[in-house]
Amino acid sequence: MSQVVFSSWGREVVDNRQGGETDLASINLKLAESYLDQGKVSAFIGWDGIILLDRETDVVALAAEYMKRVQEKHCCAKCSPGKRGTRVLQDALARIVNGEGKEQDLASIESVATLLDNCKCTLCMTSAIPVFDAVKHFRNDFVAYINGEKKPKTAKFYKDRVTAPCIDRCPAHIDIPTYIEEIKERRHDESLATIRDYMPIPAVCGRVCPHPCETGCRRALVDEPVSIMVMKRVASDHEWLHHKQPPMVPKPPTGKNVVVVGAGPAGLTCAYYLALEGHKVKIIEMLEEPGGTVAVGIPDYRMPRPLLRREAEIIEALGVEIEYGVKLGQDVSLRELKENYDAVFLGTGAFKSKPMGVEGEDQGYDGFSEGGIHYLRAVALGQGMVTPKRVIVVGGGNTAIDCVRVALREGAEDSILVYRRTRAEMPAESYEVDDAEEENVQFEFLRNPTKLIVENNKVVGVEVIKMELGEPDESGRRRPQEVPGSEYVIDCDMVIPAIGQDPDLSYLEDGDYGIEQTRWNSIVTHGGTMMTDNEGVFAGGDCEYGAMTVVLAVGHGRRAARVMNRYLTEGKVYLDADDAMEDMFNRFGVFDKNEVIGISGGLHREHQPKIDGAERATNYEEIELAMPESQAVREAERCLRCYRVGMVAVD
Amino acid sequence: MINLKIDGNQVQIGSGATILMAAEKADVKIPTLCYLKKVSPTGACRICVVEIEGADKPMTACNTQATEGMVVTTQTEKLAAIRKQIVELLLVNHPLDCPVCDAGGECDLQNICYDLDVATQPFMAEDVNAGVIDKWPLIQQVPNRCVMCEKCVKVCHETVGSSALFISERGDKAFIDKDLSLCEFCGNCVSACPTGTMISKTFKFKARPWELTKTSSVCTYCAAQCQVDINVKNKQVYRVTSKDDVTVNDGNLCIGGYFGYGYINSEKRLTSPQVKSGGQMQKADWSEALSTVVDKIKAIRDESGASALAGLSSPRLTNEENYLFQKLFRAGIGSNNIDSEARFGALRVQKILNDKLGLKGASHSISHIGKADAVLVVGSDVTAEAPALDWQIEAACRSKRDGKLIVANMRPVKLTRHANTPLEYKPGSEVALVNALSKLILEKGQADEAQLKDLVANFDEMKAHLEKVDVKAAAESCGLSVDLLEEAAGYLGAAGSVALIFGGDICKSKNAEQSIAAIANLAIVSGALSGEAGGLFPVDEKGNSQGLIEMGAYPEMLPGYQDYAANKATFEKAWRATLPADGKDALGILEGIEKGEIKFLYLAATNPLVSFPMSNRWRQALEKVEFLVVQDILSSDLVALADVVLPGASFAEKTGSVTALDNRVSCLSKAIPCVGDAREDWEVFGEIYMRLVGKSDCPDSDLILQEIRELVPVYEGVCFAGGGHGQICLKSNFEIKPGQLQYTAVDAAPAEEGLQLLSGKSMFHFGTTSTFADGPLSVVDAGYVEINSDDAAAVSIKDGDRVKVSVGDASVTVVARVDDCYRQGILFAPYHFADANIQGLMPGVQNRVAATLSKA
Repeated sequence: MSQVVFSSWGREVVDNRQGGETDLASINLKLAESYLDQGKVSAFIGWDGIILLDRETDVVALAAEYMKRVQEKHCCAKCSPGKRGTRVLQDALARIVNGEGKEQDLASIESVATLLDNCKCTLCMTSAIPVFDAVKHFRNDFVAYINGEKKPKTAKFYKDRVTAPCIDRCPAHIDIPTYIEEIKERRHDESLATIRDYMPIPAVCGRVCPHPCETGCRRALVDEPVSIMVMKRVASDHEWLHHKQPPMVPKPPTGKNVVVVGAGPAGLTCAYYLALEGHKVKIIEMLEEPGGTVAVGIPDYRMPRPLLRREAEIIEALGVEIEYGVKLGQDVSLRELKENYDAVFLGTGAFKSKPMGVEGEDQGYDGFSEGGIHYLRAVALGQGMVTPKRVIVVGGGNTAIDCVRVALREGAEDSILVYRRTRAEMPAESYEVDDAEEENVQFEFLRNPTKLIVENNKVVGVEVIKMELGEPDESGRRRPQEVPGSEYVIDCDMVIPAIGQDPDLSYLEDGDYGIEQTRWNSIVTHGGTMMTDNEGVFAGGDCEYGAMTVVLAVGHGRRAARVMNRYLTEGKVYLDADDAMEDMFNRFGVFDKNEVIGISGGLHREHQPKIDGAERATNYEEIELAMPESQAVREAERCLRCYRVGMVAVD
Repeated sequence: MINLKIDGNQVQIGSGATILMAAEKADVKIPTLCYLKKVSPTGACRICVVEIEGADKPMTACNTQATEGMVVTTQTEKLAAIRKQIVELLLVNHPLDCPVCDAGGECDLQNICYDLDVATQPFMAEDVNAGVIDKWPLIQQVPNRCVMCEKCVKVCHETVGSSALFISERGDKAFIDKDLSLCEFCGNCVSACPTGTMISKTFKFKARPWELTKTSSVCTYCAAQCQVDINVKNKQVYRVTSKDDVTVNDGNLCIGGYFGYGYINSEKRLTSPQVKSGGQMQKADWSEALSTVVDKIKAIRDESGASALAGLSSPRLTNEENYLFQKLFRAGIGSNNIDSEARFGALRVQKILNDKLGLKGASHSISHIGKADAVLVVGSDVTAEAPALDWQIEAACRSKRDGKLIVANMRPVKLTRHANTPLEYKPGSEVALVNALSKLILEKGQADEAQLKDLVANFDEMKAHLEKVDVKAAAESCGLSVDLLEEAAGYLGAAGSVALIFGGDICKSKNAEQSIAAIANLAIVSGALSGEAGGLFPVDEKGNSQGLIEMGAYPEMLPGYQDYAANKATFEKAWRATLPADGKDALGILEGIEKGEIKFLYLAATNPLVSFPMSNRWRQALEKVEFLVVQDILSSDLVALADVVLPGASFAEKTGSVTALDNRVSCLSKAIPCVGDAREDWEVFGEIYMRLVGKSDCPDSDLILQEIRELVPVYEGVCFAGGGHGQICLKSNFEIKPGQLQYTAVDAAPAEEGLQLLSGKSMFHFGTTSTFADGPLSVVDAGYVEINSDDAAAVSIKDGDRVKVSVGDASVTVVARVDDCYRQGILFAPYHFADANIQGLMPGVQNRVAATLSKA
């Protein structure tokens, strides 16, 4: 573990220049010690200070280079102190490094750095912090330059990137502050274009994203987080509600052919970005419609399928061909794909339900569903699924919630969710649990099924045992424990287990493709490139990570497409600086939950109008209605534009 | 309501208000630079920082919402230091060219330096500003004077809705750039610019602001009649400006208002009377010219009777002038052969709306558009015809509120790109479209039937007729999907208030009467006619068509919509004259000349060779007529045809009132004396009248106004208090009495197929005068025809080629503008350019005709 020479990160000064030892871990800094395989990280300069790992680092040159990049590459110029102030800083630092500095330049730097606290956003504002730290803690080095006693010693190279806590928390790393500002300015087309630079299915992610970004929203430290997800829907709705044609135009054809397996979020995303680069992309999809889990796992009242299909049509309009009803491992083998295409992307999802471990579940009884995901799919595709009067769904995740709510819409009079912990531990989004409750779903918490009760080969009930919560397990949630002898039977006509899904990788079994899998049955890829052990075969989404979110699949699909493009055009598989810095920041962490923002708040988060619970539970009409654009503007005005620039020095 | 304290003053203000608004209410002055009231706050300059109790950091007053119990301090040493430092930063590399900067003397940066006592420059930086941008027409951009307040960007995006301006580059190199293809050249960026960054090329280096005398008046280029200040030095108009907040147009102007004044001091102005002598036009003095006219009137009248004399008036003239013109003809000459170009559009609208709805002009003030929940613009490029209505639509549907915009037209117009529902219908399918919308609203139960039963005289007929409308057939005829029609009707039906706007593409077309009646029906069904927002807004592109109609400058009506035959006696008594039994309209006059029955024609500020359909026929008639009087301000082909030329005055040189499309009556002010020997037009009419009736004194304008008030009922309550902004009056409000509304059962005609030539108004030109103004000419300097790429490819025409557009035997040759954004099958051509003579291709009173295209 690297030793810290100096750190002012987080306003905690660790100074070992005169001796002493502190390793990164001891001060909770998850800074990468090397930059890809290109060298050692000698220093990091960014929004919350400076970290030196190499005693030889020239902090004055580091600060000068940082401010030059902030001003010339990142400063948006949309506020007076930022636009001109960072230029004054850049020039003062450059003069010093060039041996033309004067003592009064230091005063000027300190004065302007202080003034930048009044910037419109945090980009220039936070960029002043490490510069201020440098002058404060390395004053002698500056004076040495000014006195002509020091010559610059630059690092082998520097890499910088702009980020924000929300951008970092979003697995697709969307440029959130920009698209929100564009909503604020009522530039919806531009906003959508910004989103599409990072994700091609905004109508989906504007509706059903669990929005991890919002857990990193600094506005929450003032009042409530910005409704980041809904802003995406606003931009996306604006386009189709105005009958506008998407403006994207692919680059000229490269002559390369790519096959994408699965038209789910990962596959669609990968296909979109590859098509924009001019590659010919074909998607094969086992279902008869696009969207994967989004189409058949998320009910239409949350994600109307016509909009999902529109997203796919937009991608097809870029020249992507989708062939439906083709299943990998059944209709075509991976070997054939490898032979016929220049690259392969696997986005096959996670469609295998986990077993409950309950007596009788493998007997094929009438009234026992194979799993929540299967139930939802059968309903979505209209495969003759008949839902009886009394349904029990087992599980506490989003799929379980979707199942109980769909069961109501399919005619169940009693739709009962059985979960072994309490409501507080449910992994489902709490607003969805609220929604289900409003629709009269019944909850049986602290209950676990033990046995199916069957008459004439038909399920008539389920035996459950009462549970109580013990000590927390590795996930941090309190472990449920059985209360001995508390078993009893809940009558029902149908049981749907919805306790999780795994990828079905059986298509890898009929031959040795040299693709490593994890013990959770997911595909292993390497170093953020999304490439498997088999060169030219990439994977992403649920089949790579295990059942996770749409937005993670999008992030995977985009990253894979970026790397595949390099593979196809340069024959090399690597991460560029944007990818590498994105990953570095992600490990380092950008959101500081203890930050004191220091502004006045009191502005509540705006919510979309919603159809009433009793009214909506009878149909599949979309529950959440479009937020009026002026309300979206008010919400967007709450964004603090928490941009910040980080830069590593590599030697 | 929110209660807060600012500098110790307790303030109460509506929820959602900013600290700056609260401070304004409390009379606390917070310095600002980038703040512009009419657009959303930008928060760029940070000068309005204030301290808020409980917040560590100063916050900007312009965009921080006031919250309950907030305690704000606006003046502290810390704040003063921040403000001062920011201005010091703004001055780094700001050029010291104030002496030659156009903004010198009216520069917010100068003012704030003075206010904040910024006298030193402690900072320095390399000057990386972009160079001066000189390649744009009309506007020069000087980046090193820019403070990046984004006022220009915001006005362009929010108020004007063209969104042409944007920030280019990053950091200190950033500058305001422009997408020229989106620019409307309205100049609002120049007026919003707090420094000399955005400069008007037509004004640059011409005058210092403090040398200019401002006269408040009204722009008469279009019927929205924006309030302006005419800036004058040495009896010349140097620029036209408008003030935010206090004007109906909130300081906004268009290319006409801002850059279009050049014709006033044009070298082509007619500056002295001319009389034809020996086949040549010779300068003459007024007395001689007027005697010639009066003698000729008498001679022809004696010889052929008064009905051998005719006159065409103009929507460019004031109310008083139009009044005097019709009085001159009816009472002075004894002929009722008077008309104007309103015949080809505005009058048709007026007749139908008056007959069917009892409506005279628009139903409401144009500010009602800005508050509407849904706006339907049908058959109008309203941005070109009345830009101020576009700004209201931007507010209603884009920048301030969430109104739904439906744009129905046979061709794409600027507003199409903002439309929720664009309805690009086939030419000729207007009635089908509008009927379908009415039907759908009624059918879906979205009309207020109870109210309609009360207000509509023939409610049952209306229901029965609309029930029979076949929406599917209508959609097919329009070339649109039923879904799209249902969506549009859904928006109109669901809206609490609806604004219906229609214009030239409908009103001047061949079957305009049917379309207008269908729109009147839709106004009834959609409830547009009542309520606190929305309304029905017919748009005629010309400045004072409304006033012209109300002054009775057409044969059917006496002033104030008084039927000619029925009210003749009243006027005979008042005017102490005998009025003729009947009169000819414009077409009758044309035919009369052709038949040799009409021997004398008086053209008052109107040019049939450019703005009338069938202009070739008019040319022959003007060549034929025995005696032609041309009273105009600019030299045109008419001069060569005239027997007497009488130089009139531009709007800047005259007094008088004008009536906007929404019934606002305002007064012009004389900002400069008439150029040369020109005279205000009303004086000329008055003089001729007096000479004819044998009196010596010309009536003054007050007397004319007095007479109008007495004889014209709609103007009874209007106070004409002279020029300026404070004296606007409205004619009486539109009120609907039970049974007042009349539904008209009009049925759709089949849409027309094949290539259609459509003539109309350009966004950059106005009538026949802006083609004499350098400003608009620097954007568009000649006629052209817009052609869809596929139509052009079919006859191997490329952008910029000269093309021949033919209708029957007639043809014109113009430059082709080829783009795939134009609608296939439609050839649109602006009519303003005499050389292009597009109106010569119109075979009748219409603005659209089947045409063929070939390479010239």
